[in-house]
Amino acid sequence: MVESDKQKITRNRRYARQVILPQIGSEGQKILGKTSVLIAGAGGLGSISSLYLAAAGVGHIIIADHDHVEESNLNRQLLHSEVSLGIEKTKSAAIRLTELNSSIKITPLQTKMTRQNIDSIAKKVDIFVDATDNYNTRQILNRASLKYNIPFVFGGVQGFDGLVSCFVPGRTPCFECVIPCPKKENNSLGIIGAAAGIAASIQAMETIKLILNIGTGEDRLENRLLRISGLDMKIKSIKLEPDPECTACSDVDP
Amino acid sequence: MEIELNGLKETIPENISIDALIDLFKEGDPDLIVEINCKYIFPKNYKTTTIMENDTIEFINPNLGG
Repeated sequence: MVESDKQKITRNRRYARQVILPQIGSEGQKILGKTSVLIAGAGGLGSISSLYLAAAGVGHIIIADHDHVEESNLNRQLLHSEVSLGIEKTKSAAIRLTELNSSIKITPLQTKMTRQNIDSIAKKVDIFVDATDNYNTRQILNRASLKYNIPFVFGGVQGFDGLVSCFVPGRTPCFECVIPCPKKENNSLGIIGAAAGIAASIQAMETIKLILNIGTGEDRLENRLLRISGLDMKIKSIKLEPDPECTACSDVDP
Repeated sequence: MEIELNGLKETIPENISIDALIDLFKEGDPDLIVEINCKYIFPKNYKTTTIMENDTIEFINPNLGG
């Protein structure tokens, strides 16, 4: 579809403060507008990453979750508010994101991501932004990331802490190289909302850098695990390498 | 010998593995991630990786909430 002069003026005005950045520019803004992102989860991480990506003008955001908004979500899940209590999280998310930016497309996907439905979701998106709260769904995303060559921006939070990394097939280890299947499940984790905010903001930043190919792999969070330790406010970058024996990625051609 | 573990100076026996270090400090998380001098160590190598003098080591409990 050819962009009209009116759309171009609106785009340049709305995104003026990022279009003036040499790393983005008018061309980069157009690319953002043509990109589809899956935000896998509308909780603490997905609330913040989706807001920043919508605000930045990512053209299509698919936001997936199967839960409804509960009162105990509100300390960190800033997409939702008291008026959203009881409604589907993705519906609440779509309302808020559309209020923020009505010029982009938001697709709410009120479903649990499974091995059965991930293929049809993956075929529609350019990048996965992890906002899940469990290992199994991350493993499903990781396998689809490898199968369809889709970058996977991992984030995880607990307490005052967070972890973030970009797993890019063919260029980096995969999620399962780094985070082995847990031997114990933590079902109800304590979390301070700002920890999710920090990790998800970094995920949004890295997503934009990946979409626009800003910087080198070293500049991006590739082959590095960022560890955010909120209690002593330290952020550390840990060097990663692929596991040659990884059962998920070791036989996938780059 | 001296190492730095989770930001604290510690004195430990020489030639011990990560596995032994985990036991020594009674770290109970079975899903623990370990990094030495800012490099990730694969869990399967905890038995065979020896701690060196002045190593900086972090035990990381993986954060998988969202």
